[in-house]
Order: sequence, then C-alpha cells, then structure tokens
Amino acid sequence: MTTIQVGFVLQPDEEMLGLTEPLLELADYFEVAPETTWFEAPDGRLLENGFHRRFLQIGERTGKPFVAHGVGLSLGSFGRAEWRRRARWLRRLREDQARFRYRWYTDHLGATVMGGQVVALPVALPMTEAFAAQVRRVLRAAQAVVPDVGLENTAPTVLFGQPLEEPAFIASALARPRTHLLLDLHNLHTVAVNYGVDPDAYLARLDLGKVIEIHVSGGSWSDPAWLPGGRSLRLDSHDGAAPDEVLALLERVAPRCPNLRGITLERMEGTVGAPDVAVLAAELKHLHGVARSLS
Amino acid sequence: MSHEQLQREMADALRAEDPVAALRALAEAPSVDPAIRSALLAADPDGLRLTALLVAKLRFERVIRGSSAAGDWFDRDAAAFSAAFRRYHAEVPPSEPFPAAEAKSFLAWAAAHQEDAPKSTRSLR
Repeated sequence: MTTIQVGFVLQPDEEMLGLTEPLLELADYFEVAPETTWFEAPDGRLLENGFHRRFLQIGERTGKPFVAHGVGLSLGSFGRAEWRRRARWLRRLREDQARFRYRWYTDHLGATVMGGQVVALPVALPMTEAFAAQVRRVLRAAQAVVPDVGLENTAPTVLFGQPLEEPAFIASALARPRTHLLLDLHNLHTVAVNYGVDPDAYLARLDLGKVIEIHVSGGSWSDPAWLPGGRSLRLDSHDGAAPDEVLALLERVAPRCPNLRGITLERMEGTVGAPDVAVLAAELKHLHGVARSLS
Repeated sequence: MSHEQLQREMADALRAEDPVAALRALAEAPSVDPAIRSALLAADPDGLRLTALLVAKLRFERVIRGSSAAGDWFDRDAAAFSAAFRRYHAEVPPSEPFPAAEAKSFLAWAAAHQEDAPKSTRSLR
C-alpha cells in the first residue's frame, strides 16, 4: 500500500480561507472544485475569477498538490447540448490542468443538468445500464484532460432505485481502467439514516479496490417545517463536525481499500467561524492518525 | 421517450407545484420504459418534495449572489422579491449555472413582468 495522504478543501470564501490558514500545514494536498474558480464572460467563455489565482498561490507557497472535485460536469446527463456544454467545461479544465496539475478529477454521481435545465444539485439517476453507460462515456471524455477520474457516491434526498442496488450501478459506471470511486462516508451515513439501510451492507457490496479517496465531513437535518408531514431528512450539508458514526465507518472501511491515496476533510463555505478552527484541526490530526496506521 | 426528454420532464416535475403528482404522471406516460417507470414510482414522496425545494433554494442563492441589485431588492422587500422569484422559478426553466447570468435572467424577467425590480442590473463576480 502506498502512503495515504490527508487533504483539506479550499472553498471560494475569503473569510474561511483566512480563518483556516493555520490548517494548511496540516494538509498534504488541497481539494478544489474547478468551477468555483471560474466565471462566465458575456460571450460564454469561462474565465478565471479571483479564487483561481488565490488557490494557485496557496499551492505555490506550500508546495502541496491539488485534487479536483467538481459538481458541474454532470456525469449522468444526456443530450447533444449537454455534450457541447461539457466540451466547453473540459476545455477550461484543460487550461487549469496545465497549472493546477490535478492528481485526479472526480465529480458526483448524478445529474446537475437535466434536459438542459440546471438543477445544480446532483439529482439521482435511475440505476439502469443506459445511465451507467452514459457515466462511463462522460468519464472517458474527462480522461482526455485528467487521466485518473472518478465519481463520488452522493446523498440524494430522493433515490430512483434501492440504496443497496447502488454498488452494482457504481461498479458498472466504473468499469473502465483508471476510473475510481471517491467514497464519501457522510453521504453513505446520510443515505443509511434517511433510507434505513445498514451502511456496512452497502460497503460489503462495493468494490473497495476502486476507492482512490475518502471524504469525511459533517451534516445537518432539514427543517421539519419544510415538509408537509413535519419529517426531517439528513442533508449532506458539510456544515459541521464529522459525527462519530462517520469516523467509525472510516476506521472500519479504510483498511479494506487497497488503492486508497487520500482522505479529505470537507467543509462548506460560509460554515466556518473562529470556534470551528480547533475542531477542524483536531479532525485533520485524527485523519493523519488513521492514514499513518494504514501506510 | 429519449433519456434527454425524460430528464427534461423530471426537471419540470421538480419545478411543479406538486412534484409528487407531476413525477407520478410522468412515470405513467406510455412512452416511459418499464424499468424507468418502476424507478420513478419508487421515489420517496418526502424526498422528492425536499429535492424540489433544494433545487429552488440553490437557484435563489445564485440570483442573490449574482447581482447586487437583486440582493438590494431582497433586503428592501423580501416578501415581494420571494413572490417574484417563485413565479420566475415556475415559469422559466433554469439554464444558467453561474450566479451572474442567473441573476441577469431573473431581473430581465422581473422587468418584463413589471415586477418591483430595481433599475440597475449590475452583476457581481
């Protein structure tokens, strides 16, 4: 097993970047969502925003590498217009790759664009072979820019299939070489809680040899007032400390992932105040302890 | 029904006043493949309602972040802004992933519909 590194997310949030500056030395690499470093010019070109330069400067100053984790490639979308949109996305990504040199590029299992409509959050895909084949085609297109690509298991608030069918769907979507799984343990925890599924049963069905990276984060619950019956569902909001259940899942699953290269701590922009910095530091140190025990 | 059309109609259902009824109607359309029909009918109603809410929430946030004029309007009269946004979200399919373009689209729609939109549509990046 190669050395497993610990990563921390860089968010387009000046206040968060300032507060978490002391945490940069606790990370071996940084995760960036490429599209958060772009804006769209009136002529449709995707240009660099201020965070593009800001993140590159952090990389240059610390000498640490990047991995890319986007949300806008929309792995499961169909249609010619979608391919044109993706081509524009990947052209911009190619320009970034020359400078960020992303070690791998992942996006979310789902569709953030559906029939030309930008839904923005990754909506679950019906778990059929046609959808798995589409994900394979999109990942193959992305491999022309970053050779190692992959998808993240998501925590959709609605599923079009049974949760325990998802590992087989993922296996089909990741059938090609150098396509990997980013295993998000809070997303798995969220699906387990919302759908009453045993997360270990899900993991038992998953090809853990495909896991290149693990995500650790926290989340919260939807406001009961949002639904007519007052029900609350867990959300992958990445807005708090990782719960004990997620850390316990990490301890159980990481030793079973022979090709694991990184464990990344995620936190959403706008959710970090001064008291959170010590919590995040403790979490990063904990992840280093897990990584050391495996390397 | 092509997969692209299916996804477009699923997205329409997520903007419908009753997403559960809209998705059920889509699932029962004769042109929907039986495997897809089963998948759609298996959707948890509360999960579907929450997904629809989150899609609207993310679009709302793109509008607010994308334009100081939109943000000012919201600060000045949150109720009127929110009512206008609800009508916009129901009427106009979302096609813009970046905040500035979404805000520009919203403000143009509001102006065309004589909503209480501000004159300036200056965008932020």
